[in-house]
Amino acid sequence: MTFKAFIFGLLASFGFPWLVAVVLPFSKMRSLEPIKYEEGAAVSGVFIPKRDGRVTEGSIIYGQEGCYQCHTQLIRPTYAGNDVFRDEWAGLRKTADNADTRRETLAMDFEGEKVAHLGQSRVGPDLANLGRRLEQNLKGSELTPEDWVLQHLYNPRGVRNYRVGSQDLPERSSCPSKTSLFELVALNGAGGGFLAVDTEEGKGVRPKDRARQLASYLISLKKDTLGQPLPEILNHNPQATVVE
Amino acid sequence: MAETTSTAESNDVALRASIDRSLRHPVMFFFTSGAVWLALAIVLGLVASAKKHSPEFLSCFSFLDAGRVDGAHMSALIYGWGAQAAFGIIIWLMARLSRKECTNAGTILAVGHLWNLFVFIGLVCILTGNGSGIAYMEFPGFIWPLLILCYLAITIWSLVQFQVRDAGHVYVSQWYLLAGLLWFPWIAVTAFLFVFVFDGHPVMASAIAAWFKSALFLLFFLPTALASAYYLAPKVTGRPVYSYNLALFGFWALAFLGPWAGMQKLFGAPIPQFLPYAGAAAMVLILIPAISVGINILQTVYGHGEIVAESPSLRFTSSGVVLFVAYGVLSFVLHTVPAMKMTQFSYSGYGLDILGLYGVFSLCAFGAIYFIVPRITRREWLSRRFISWHFFLSLYGVASIVICAVVGGVTQGQGIEDVAQPFATMAERASQYGWGVTLAWAFLLFANLFFCLHLLLMWARLGRRSSHPTLLKGHHAESPHGPEGEIDNIGSASA
Repeated sequence: MTFKAFIFGLLASFGFPWLVAVVLPFSKMRSLEPIKYEEGAAVSGVFIPKRDGRVTEGSIIYGQEGCYQCHTQLIRPTYAGNDVFRDEWAGLRKTADNADTRRETLAMDFEGEKVAHLGQSRVGPDLANLGRRLEQNLKGSELTPEDWVLQHLYNPRGVRNYRVGSQDLPERSSCPSKTSLFELVALNGAGGGFLAVDTEEGKGVRPKDRARQLASYLISLKKDTLGQPLPEILNHNPQATVVE
Repeated sequence: MAETTSTAESNDVALRASIDRSLRHPVMFFFTSGAVWLALAIVLGLVASAKKHSPEFLSCFSFLDAGRVDGAHMSALIYGWGAQAAFGIIIWLMARLSRKECTNAGTILAVGHLWNLFVFIGLVCILTGNGSGIAYMEFPGFIWPLLILCYLAITIWSLVQFQVRDAGHVYVSQWYLLAGLLWFPWIAVTAFLFVFVFDGHPVMASAIAAWFKSALFLLFFLPTALASAYYLAPKVTGRPVYSYNLALFGFWALAFLGPWAGMQKLFGAPIPQFLPYAGAAAMVLILIPAISVGINILQTVYGHGEIVAESPSLRFTSSGVVLFVAYGVLSFVLHTVPAMKMTQFSYSGYGLDILGLYGVFSLCAFGAIYFIVPRITRREWLSRRFISWHFFLSLYGVASIVICAVVGGVTQGQGIEDVAQPFATMAERASQYGWGVTLAWAFLLFANLFFCLHLLLMWARLGRRSSHPTLLKGHHAESPHGPEGEIDNIGSASA
């Protein structure tokens, strides 16, 4: 083996996969073809999942706080896992009150984020539809989804009023408390926006801006078909298991 | 460490001594600061692991926030310890094999300090919540180009040395060194540009970050470890490498497979579907280079069981090579499609990463350090007991982490796939294995305390002045300074 052949081998063995697995997919994914609704569908135009909330800033904070270490945001297709069948991970199941809104995660779901926080490990539940789950489970409760998320961030083992019988029993949560996102301030003349948690006498816990951005991002996680129906071409919804 | 200097000509000995002398400051700096980072990385690993099962652990320190600690732990392990140990090995080995003195030790040493500074700043950013928030690339964006520049300023001289060497045989170790040296900047620059600079799709950014992590191990740390193994095994046993053709095959197998791996982490994610499958296939096939390297190195030392047992360098290196074969087998098992479904989002990936970084790379690096340090300091290691403890605790610790993480990961994955089982039940069951991982990090912490202390003593030039290398023999030597009579043999430290 000559030295030239050796260097050529190094460049070729690395360069080819580099081109095929990194550069080409990157440029392909950069300009994805927009997907149009078919003729005669209830919605018309191009499919863009709607999200409201402080998605861009919230996504950065989500990453900086390392939430992706223990939570995923990926409902895998059925060839890759059973995620769509787990309670409310992929959307709502069909009941008397609502339709089956489950779907797999799509590339368009991450619009507005710098990087998709697909996640490392499922130490905690998948969050692809956290916003939807909260909205559904807090129906009729005095807590809003934002209250719940903020309280959960402050003390994950202290939040109540979550639907009884849910699989996400908060008392058993092993989520760490993100107290650094909150400040302890004197109640006197400090305005509002305090969290409904017990703390020192005369003081209140108030979320910093960072906490509010993160909460807004978490509530925006509604990657199912309720707000936005899927075009037929993307609809792989398996036969729903009906929960009456 | 039976180096066969007796037959070599005296000017050969003098050349080697002068090469060692020319490099002693940067190499010692990389090894000692690397060892300190390793201790820190282990502490962070312990905290990160503890927080997974006991979330209130150390919760009074907000900078030790779970999530942030995970990123800091891996970054300290990879860039604090791994990269610096690799730099030390690369510059020393390349100088020795090219038979050229280092004329840029001052530059390398100065840039080495900068590297440490940037890693430190990066870690502070992660721990204060100012990291990039991208899995596997947690340092903030501005740190990456600085680290890449430092890398170039540290290693470019090794390429120059190779280029100006006297024509002659190119050793197997040099293939691996050259390959790692060329691939690293390509990988790092690609990852930096495609993740931080170019405006691409968010899913692809995370895919490329996953590819980066995998390529960094398979195409930089692993080649460096194997270069050291291919140097030490023949050197210490005094035999040639078992099979040149097998070495060639193992090398090219790694070169062809390594760059494909990484994106299997995104199995089921909305990216072009062949990417995760290509990654998984490459990780399955990694068994091939693992077996070829394993056979080759172990056949080289085969029949020299006594030397393997007595020589600290060879003992660590051989264990590293055996664990590389284990890495290949585990990678094979974990990346088949049914297993991936289960273990994709579980602890087992972490187990495999630690097996690679600690079991394979670090054990080989320890082997190299036990060989190199006495040569550049001209002092022998102080205590064979420290080395023994380091060895056994390391092996025990890394085995425990990998077993707990992989078995725990499978339990976790099974629980997630079994939709009839509540998520919380699964989480509770899997967290029991987290306790095992935490304990195992404690073992590694002890192992590294012995190592770090020993290395710092050597750095302070408190090593034994002796012509007898410190071997791990079971008999005599009550004193940690080795048998009497070897201590005061001033002036004849082994070359």
